[in-house]
Amino acid sequence: MGDLSGYRGTALRFLKGASASVGDVLEVRTSWGTVTGTLVPRYAYGDEEHIVLKLKSGYNVGIRVAGLKDAKVVSKGESPAFSPPPPPKSPKGLPRVLMLGTGGTIASRIDYRTGAVRPAVSAAELHALVPELSSIAVVQPEIMFEVFSENIAPAHWAKLARRTARAVKEGFSGVVITHGTDTLGYTAAALGFALAGVPIPVILVGSQRSSDRPSSDAPLNIIGAVTAAATSRFSGVYVAMHLGESDDKVALHRGTRVRKNHTSRRDAFVSVGVPVAAVYGRGGLETESEGLPPRGGAFTPRPRFDERVALLKFYPSMPPSAVRGAKRSGAKAIVVEGTGLGHVSKEVAKELGAFVKSGGLAFMTSQCLEGRVDMRVYDTGRDLLRAGVVPLEDMLPETALVKAMWVLGTGAKGPRAIEMMTANVAGEMTARTLPS
Amino acid sequence: MGSKGLLVGLEIHQQLSIGTKLFCACPPVKSEEFPYHFERRLRPSQSETGRLDPAAVFEYSKGKSNRYFWSPESSCLVEADEEPPHQLSKEGLESSLIVGAALGSHLVDEVHVMRKIVIDGSNTGGFQRTAVVGVGGAFEVDGAPVGVQSVTLEEDAARNLGEDSGSRHFGLDRLGVALVEVALDPVSGDPEHVARVALHLGRLLRSTGRVARGLGTIRQDLNVSLDGGRVVEVKGVQKLNLLPRVVEYEGKRQRMLIRVAERLKSSGVRCWHKDATAVFSGTSAGVLARAVGEGGVVVCITASGLAGVLGWEPEQGVRLGKEVAEVARANSLGGIVHSDEFERQGVSQAERDALAGLMGSAPADALILVAGKTETVNRVIPHLESRLEEAAKGVPAETRAATEAGETRYMRPRPGSQRMYPETDIQDMAISAATAARVRRDIPEPWTSTVERLRKKHRLSQDLALKLYDSESVEDFEATVVSLRLEPSFIASVLVDLPARLEREGVPAAGLGVETLKAALGAVGNGKVAKEALPDVLKAAAEKRLSVEEAISSLGLGTVGEQQVRKVVRSVLDRESKLVADKGDGAFSPLMGAVMGELRGKADGSLVARVLREELAKASAR
Repeated sequence: MGDLSGYRGTALRFLKGASASVGDVLEVRTSWGTVTGTLVPRYAYGDEEHIVLKLKSGYNVGIRVAGLKDAKVVSKGESPAFSPPPPPKSPKGLPRVLMLGTGGTIASRIDYRTGAVRPAVSAAELHALVPELSSIAVVQPEIMFEVFSENIAPAHWAKLARRTARAVKEGFSGVVITHGTDTLGYTAAALGFALAGVPIPVILVGSQRSSDRPSSDAPLNIIGAVTAAATSRFSGVYVAMHLGESDDKVALHRGTRVRKNHTSRRDAFVSVGVPVAAVYGRGGLETESEGLPPRGGAFTPRPRFDERVALLKFYPSMPPSAVRGAKRSGAKAIVVEGTGLGHVSKEVAKELGAFVKSGGLAFMTSQCLEGRVDMRVYDTGRDLLRAGVVPLEDMLPETALVKAMWVLGTGAKGPRAIEMMTANVAGEMTARTLPS
Repeated sequence: MGSKGLLVGLEIHQQLSIGTKLFCACPPVKSEEFPYHFERRLRPSQSETGRLDPAAVFEYSKGKSNRYFWSPESSCLVEADEEPPHQLSKEGLESSLIVGAALGSHLVDEVHVMRKIVIDGSNTGGFQRTAVVGVGGAFEVDGAPVGVQSVTLEEDAARNLGEDSGSRHFGLDRLGVALVEVALDPVSGDPEHVARVALHLGRLLRSTGRVARGLGTIRQDLNVSLDGGRVVEVKGVQKLNLLPRVVEYEGKRQRMLIRVAERLKSSGVRCWHKDATAVFSGTSAGVLARAVGEGGVVVCITASGLAGVLGWEPEQGVRLGKEVAEVARANSLGGIVHSDEFERQGVSQAERDALAGLMGSAPADALILVAGKTETVNRVIPHLESRLEEAAKGVPAETRAATEAGETRYMRPRPGSQRMYPETDIQDMAISAATAARVRRDIPEPWTSTVERLRKKHRLSQDLALKLYDSESVEDFEATVVSLRLEPSFIASVLVDLPARLEREGVPAAGLGVETLKAALGAVGNGKVAKEALPDVLKAAAEKRLSVEEAISSLGLGTVGEQQVRKVVRSVLDRESKLVADKGDGAFSPLMGAVMGELRGKADGSLVARVLREELAKASAR
C-alpha cells in the first residue's frame, strides 16, 4: 500500500479499496460524469468525506466519496526527479560561509505534484533558489535538524553553538543559520551568550513569506545574511531580516536586542533600545552602529543551558500562586516581566520575596519593552529590591530568560549568578539610553 | 480569407458584485490617490523537477522591479502581501456558485483555492488565487449548445499604472477584487459568431444579478488556434465590439505564420550574430545613429533563408518582421531594423555591403540589426534568435495582448502547465448537497425569459426588448410604464435608442443619465412637451448641460391647445389649396409635414393628425 498521507475514515477506506496512492492518476465516476486527476495528499485539517484530485488544468477539486460510483487507477504515480541546473562556479578566492539549516520554510521548495513544501538540502538547490550567492561566497549548506521554530529548545541552541564553534576552527569566514521566525529572537540571544566573543559573524536569517512563492523575502534576506557572514568587519551574533516592506534593504539586528514585533510583515523584526547594527542594501553592507566587536580574538564557547527558568508576565489580579507554581515546576530562577519601571502587586512581591528566601533567583524586566527598569522610584519597587528581586536594566524579557538559562548552565549560583546576570556579555544591556 | 480551421476558446472574467474583496475585508473601490508605495522583486519559483516556468523566467529576466501604490481606503496588508489572506468571502463563493448553477455546471463538492504563478508583477504574491467551483455545463447560442469547461472564482490583479525605466507601477486598489471566470469549449472562429457567444454569455451572467456592471467589469481572454496548431492566448479584450476584429487579426496572423513556415520547411532557419557597431559609426539611419550616439551597440543577426520573408505581407498588416520587433519591444528594446526595410530606414548601400562582408551572409539570408544599450541588446539577442528560428515551425505558443485597435501584440511565452499549487493559507470548503440545492433554487429568471416577458407584456419588438435588456434600464422602464400613460415601445426607444441616435448625429448624448431620460419622458407624459420635440429637448440638454425643464424653456417649447392647432392647420390648407384640390386625401402626408414644421413640436402628432384629417375632409367637401 502506497502513501495516503492525510486521508482518514471514509475517504481512506475508499482509496484503499481502489488500491490508490498519492500521485496516482485516478478516474472516478460521479453521479454527473467521469473525473480524471492525480490524487494529492489531504491536509490534516480536511474532513474524512472527500478525496482531492488535481485536474489536468492544475486545479485541485474535492470530490465527495459518498457520491462516487466507481474509481480506478489509470496510471501509477512516479516521483519526479528533481534535477536543478548545476550551480554556477564561484570565482576563486571567495570567502567560505557555512549555512546551517534548522527547518522552517526559509530554504524550501514546493512539490508541485502534491503542494507540499520540502527543504532545499543541497548546495545545488540553494543556488537554484538564490543564484546570486555564487558571486558572494562559497556557501556550504548543512542540515542540522528539521523543526518548526516553535519547537526549538535549549538543546537545539547548544547543538548550533557547538557546530558554529567548530566552524570557527574549520576556518569559515562566517556562519549563516536559517531558522523559523517565531523563536528566532530567542535562538539569537542564546547563541549570543553561548558564543560570546566568537571571532566571526554568525547571522540568523528567516523569512516571513515562504520561499515557495515568487514574492518571498527569503532570497534577499539570505543574500544579506551571506554578505554579512562573508564580508562584515564585525563579529558576533545577528539577525538578518527585511528593514522595510520593500525588497531593497536588509537590517542586521544584535542577537540579544532583537524582537519579532509583528505577526506577518516582512519588517517584523526590530532592534529594541539600540539602533540597527548594520544594513545591507544596493551599496553593500553598511555598519550603522558603533561599538560592534571586530573580527578575530580568542574565544571559548559555553554552549550549555539549564532550562529551569520561568518567565512570568505580571498582570492585574495575578494570583501569588503563579510564583509558587513556577517554583513547584522546578524553576531555580524567575524572570518577571513587570509593569512600568518594574513593578508587581504587593501580594506577588511578597511571594517573590519568599521564592528568593528559599534560594531562588528573581529578576525584573519590563513589559514596556522600551526603556530601563528602575525600582527605586516607587515604594513597590523598593519593596521588591528589599525582597531580593534583581533589576536587569534595559534587557529584553526574552533575552533575560535565555540569559538566566545560560548563566545557570555555566554552573554559576547565588551571588556569582547575579553578578553574571547584571554584567553585559553580548550587548544585551547598555549603560546609557540614547535618544532614538 | 475566411475563418476556416480557426478555433477560439473564450474565457470571460466578470467582476462579482459583492461588498468586499475576495480574501480581505477591503471594499472593492477605485482609488485616485495612493499615499504609500513600496518596491518588490518577484522571482520564478521552481517546479518539482527543478524546471522553471518559461513565462516566469521571461518576466524575471527583464530585470525590472515592481512599485506598488497603496491607499488604506482600498487595500490593507493582505494586498501588500504582508498579511496572510483571510478566509474566502462567503458572499463571493455563493455568487460564483449561482453563476455556475445558471450555466448548468456541476458544482464541485469541495472548493480548493490554488495559487497560479503570475510574475509580471500584477500580483504582489507572485501568484493569483483561484478556485474551480463548477465543471461542465452549456448554454445555447443561435440554437446550438456552447460547452462550458469550468467556472472559476478568482481574485483580480493589481491595476497597471504604467512603467518607467526601472520598474513597473501598479495600483493595489484592484488587487483581490472578486471575479468569476467562465472558460468555454472552443467554438469555430467565425468572428461574428465568437462575438455572439460572448454577448450571450454576458447576458447570462448579468441575469444572475450577482455581477458588477459598467466599464472595466468584464474582460475577455481568447485561446486561438488554427488547424489544431499551437494555442495562442490573447489577453484583455475589454470591449465586446473589438472581439470580432481581434479574432480576425489573430486568424490572419496565424495563417501568415503557417505560410512562412511552409516556405521555410525544407531549409529551417539558422541564426548567428556579430557586433556591427563599427559599420555604423557614421550612419544616417535614425534608430542606429541614436544607439551609437548614446554609447550603445549595434549587433547584427543573420537569419538564414529569411531574406524577403520578414517583410512579406501575405495579408494586410501581418508580417514576420513585425512579430520579431514585438519580441524586442516586449523586452524593452525599440531599435531593430531588418534587411527588408534597410532602404526605408536609411541604411546605405555601403553599410549593407560592409555588413554582408562582416557576417559572411548569402543574398537569401536576412540581416537583423539590434541597436541599444549593450546590456539590453545582449539580453534580447537570444530571444530574437529563438523567435527567428521558430519561424520554420509555424505558430509559437505565446501570450499576446489585445490592442485598442483590435490587433494583438506579443507579451511573453505561454506559461507551463506546472504553475499551480495549493493556497495553503486558505482552508478547503465543502459545498454540501443542501447548499448546492439551495443555490440551484436561487437562480434568477434566465435572460431569455426576461426578454420574452418584456416583449409580450409591453408589446415590444424583439430587437427593442433585447436592447432594453442590455441597457441595464429594465427596472426604470417598467417603473416608467406604470407611472406614465405612454406607449411602452416609445418609452423603451427613448431609454435605449434615442441617446445612441443622437450620438450618431454628433450630439454628446452618451452622458445623458437615465434620470434625465426619465424626466424628459415625464414632460411628455404630463403634456409639457410633444413627443416629437423630445430629440430637440435632449439635444439641448446634452449640448448645453441643461436640465430637461431648462431645455424646454430654452427652446421656447410648450404645448399649444387644439384651438391653436386648428388655426395653424387652416392657414396651411389655405396656402396649399391647389395641393388639396389636386390630391384630396392624398395630400395628407405632405400637409402633415408642413403643419408639424410650423408647430415646431409644440403639439402632439396624434392631435395634429386628427385635426388635419377633420379640416381636410371639410376642405375636400367644399
